[in-house]
Amino acid sequence: MKAVKGVLITCDAAVKQILLQMNERRREDNYFVIEDLDQTHLLIKADEEEGMRQELEVELEKNTYSMEP
Amino acid sequence: MESASHLSIIIDFSPQQWHSSSSNSDQGPFSLASFLPQLFIFLNAHLASQHENTLTIVGAFPGKSSVLFSSNEASTEADADPKLYQPFRTVNAAVVQRLSEELESLPESTDAPIALVGALTKSLCYINRLVNPQTVSSTTQNTTLSSAISPRILIFSVSPDLSASYIPIMNSIFCAQKLKVSLDVCKLYGPDTVFLQQAAHLTGGSYLSIHNRDTLIHYLMICFLSPPAVRQLMAVPTEDKVDFRAACFCHKTIVDIGFICSVCLSIFCKPTPVCSTCRAKFPMKSLTRLKEALKPVLPPGIPEPSPIIDSLPDTAPALTLPGGVGMSGGGKGKGKASQARGGGQYPPLHLGPMGMEGPPNGMHHGMPPGGIMPPGMGMGGMGGGRPGPPLKKGQKRSMNGMPQGMMSGVGMPPGGGHPQMDWRSMMAYPPGTAPASTGTTPTPPPPSR
Amino acid sequence: MAGGSREIKNHALIEFLQSQTQNVLHRLYTRPSACLAIVRLMSPFERQLVMNLLWLEQPLETKQVTSWVTLEGRSAYEAALKTLALLHILPNSKENMSLHSSFKTGLRNGLTGSGDIESFGVPALDVGFEPLSPEELDVYALERWDTTLHFMVTSGTGEASAKPSDGVLYLLEHSGLMRNDQGRRIINSEGFQFLLQSPHAQLWEFMLSYLRMMAEREDMDMVDILGFFFTLSMMQIGQQYSNETLSPTQIIMVADLRDFGLIYFPEHSTTVFQPTRFATSLTSHMQSISEAESKHEDGRDGPHGFVVLETNYHIYAYTNNPLQIAVLNLFVAFKTRFSNLIVGTLTRDSVKRALINGITAEQILSYLVAHAHPQMKKNNPIIPVTVQDQIRLWELERHRVKGQDGYLYKDFGSMNDYEVVVKYARELGVVLWENGAKRMFFADAAGRVLIRNYIERRTAI
Repeated sequence: MKAVKGVLITCDAAVKQILLQMNERRREDNYFVIEDLDQTHLLIKADEEEGMRQELEVELEKNTYSMEP
Repeated sequence: MESASHLSIIIDFSPQQWHSSSSNSDQGPFSLASFLPQLFIFLNAHLASQHENTLTIVGAFPGKSSVLFSSNEASTEADADPKLYQPFRTVNAAVVQRLSEELESLPESTDAPIALVGALTKSLCYINRLVNPQTVSSTTQNTTLSSAISPRILIFSVSPDLSASYIPIMNSIFCAQKLKVSLDVCKLYGPDTVFLQQAAHLTGGSYLSIHNRDTLIHYLMICFLSPPAVRQLMAVPTEDKVDFRAACFCHKTIVDIGFICSVCLSIFCKPTPVCSTCRAKFPMKSLTRLKEALKPVLPPGIPEPSPIIDSLPDTAPALTLPGGVGMSGGGKGKGKASQARGGGQYPPLHLGPMGMEGPPNGMHHGMPPGGIMPPGMGMGGMGGGRPGPPLKKGQKRSMNGMPQGMMSGVGMPPGGGHPQMDWRSMMAYPPGTAPASTGTTPTPPPPSR
Repeated sequence: MAGGSREIKNHALIEFLQSQTQNVLHRLYTRPSACLAIVRLMSPFERQLVMNLLWLEQPLETKQVTSWVTLEGRSAYEAALKTLALLHILPNSKENMSLHSSFKTGLRNGLTGSGDIESFGVPALDVGFEPLSPEELDVYALERWDTTLHFMVTSGTGEASAKPSDGVLYLLEHSGLMRNDQGRRIINSEGFQFLLQSPHAQLWEFMLSYLRMMAEREDMDMVDILGFFFTLSMMQIGQQYSNETLSPTQIIMVADLRDFGLIYFPEHSTTVFQPTRFATSLTSHMQSISEAESKHEDGRDGPHGFVVLETNYHIYAYTNNPLQIAVLNLFVAFKTRFSNLIVGTLTRDSVKRALINGITAEQILSYLVAHAHPQMKKNNPIIPVTVQDQIRLWELERHRVKGQDGYLYKDFGSMNDYEVVVKYARELGVVLWENGAKRMFFADAAGRVLIRNYIERRTAI
């Protein structure tokens, strides 16, 4: 038995896929995902949470379209 | 959010009554001087309850009524005192000043009756202005404040009933019902007043006769301070015995048995051929029958008619008189056929004992066996009591094909039995609402269901 | 309408008083003004219960009191007993009920004006200059208040605005509404939420922060502070009061409260002050400040109704008040400004900016409802459903990802091992995620030590 320190991420399935994809784009030694738990849960490194959120924000913004000029 | 409440206080300042109260050793002397301090504490408590609470004090004097204090009008500025909350001081100083002015201006001796009705009407007018501010030129009126007000009236009474004021008091009660104002009555001295008991009962207020007047303030705090919303949660004592007697329109005497005009619901102490209010003519036949029927009611050996409903046996002839009036079969059947069903074409004036010291079985809103109701109850089916459209001059309206005539003060609703009836809903169309001047255009009650 | 059996929330100050010691409260209750003010802050039911017991000399049997309460009043009664016991007004007792003597005497004195404690403020006579009229005081108080709010709303934007006094700045920081970032004060998310509250709620939040701040100071007596606070709330607007009888603590308060706009005194005077409507309406349940505001805005009908919001997210705000514009600017993208009208749009970006600042969707919506133009108030619902939903959706968008710190427990030797440990963790209530098939579970950090000890104990056996 072992205990792994980390942050449990609860999100919808779509966001999880984006996160996994973000993880893939990184170099091998820089992965932030520790464990893919199930459809809506991920375990990530505790010190990576903030960075991940910002990166995700940018990623999500790419998919948002606004009528405003 | 809690809403502000408005309290109108009416105080009966009858000099004779207060004098006899202060010298009366029966209940212990109680003078105006010992009443006012307790009143002021009560007023303070009302003002203290909420920042927005308002107050009007109207004094009823012999022959006149006058407003002693009103929160909304600028009053005499009293000097501030560090020991007393300023609004308390303003109220107390204004009331004392106005009261002494009024009492000094009273004539030495006067027979004028106490203007209780005047005071009541003034309070109602004032409340109406608070509730419906748009009717006033609303330049300075604050509409948001008044919409949330829950008004009440509290009457401090020392005088006995003035039978002449029956009609105006009844009208005030209906006005109060319409404005959703509850009338509380605090009887400080003298016998219970029938009219004010009815007023409290009909408006959902509380009537209290104070016997131990040294602890008046305690009574006031418990019974009369709480706004209606709180009374639902913390009960206040109410009178469980209400005297429902009415005063007749002809002699202004309080009657035990009355006769009601079927057209305008005026009450008379004895059968008359013509209604003095609406000029409706009644058939001779019913008159004679009623007069006859009246006699057996009197218990043998007692000359004056003073029947007490509680002691009347069910077999008393008066009570077997027609029950259903103007009901389904009323117009068609003639004579015996329909009378057997409890109705007749010319329903006689109904003998209705008016006074009820509370229904004997404790049913407050129920009809006592025998189909007796107070006058003004009109027809059993009146229910909501909206008057029908006024008739044109000279036109006569018959109800369900029945010619108009004086008829019974009531009877049973269609179907007979002893249904539960709500006095209040029936009182919505009061005997007094038919104005005396509408003789030619009577507004008959609507046809019964 | 208050009342009914639903749960009535106590006034914030009542809760603050409940946190005070019995000694402080009983000394406070000797001041009639404090008793009167507290009675006003009570719920109607509590108030009536107190009034019923007020004039009794002897304790009353509890069951007799209970008999007054109707069936619907039961829950209100229970709640009232609890509140009054915590205030040390009505000690909880199964047999007898009697108000605490200091409160009883205090309230009786308050109602009758007897006793010898001058707790309603000593009026100043012949001060040599004219007092401000109530209208002038309203203008003064609102200006003070608006300065504070405007400072808050423009902080961090670089826009220059009048700086409130140091006392206000200190309190803003102390209460957590703003933070000091290298000499520059930046508004916190609590501050943004504060801006969208009703003026009455704002005033109370401010005053409670002030009282808490004062309570932390060792050299001040809480009775002095609260006593003056209640005295102030019972004063009359327009009247001049003398501060000659005030304690040193209270003199400090007079100066502080002047900064907040609750008290006015002219620069040259040190002995006289006047309360403003902010102070005298503290114990009011209605929003008397907004009434003052309506008088302030001449001729316009309704103090608040100036916002029109359409289904296409366009906002038209009929105002030229810089504060109102600044507050709207928190979540609206403005396009055009006229002398009495400002036009903008609710956009995803503008609302998101507000959400990032810590403002919730509910607060935006309630602000819009509270300030809806009378014309818009005729709609039902007042705010178009599409806009409501969209604002809420934008808020949800920010919460797509939830992170929780903790430990993942995995690689259990056997299913039995896993089940025993996860059962224990469940009993601790720390399990956030579990999967039996994978023999893994995730528990929050708090359970770490306990779980480890548990496993060690098991393996030791």
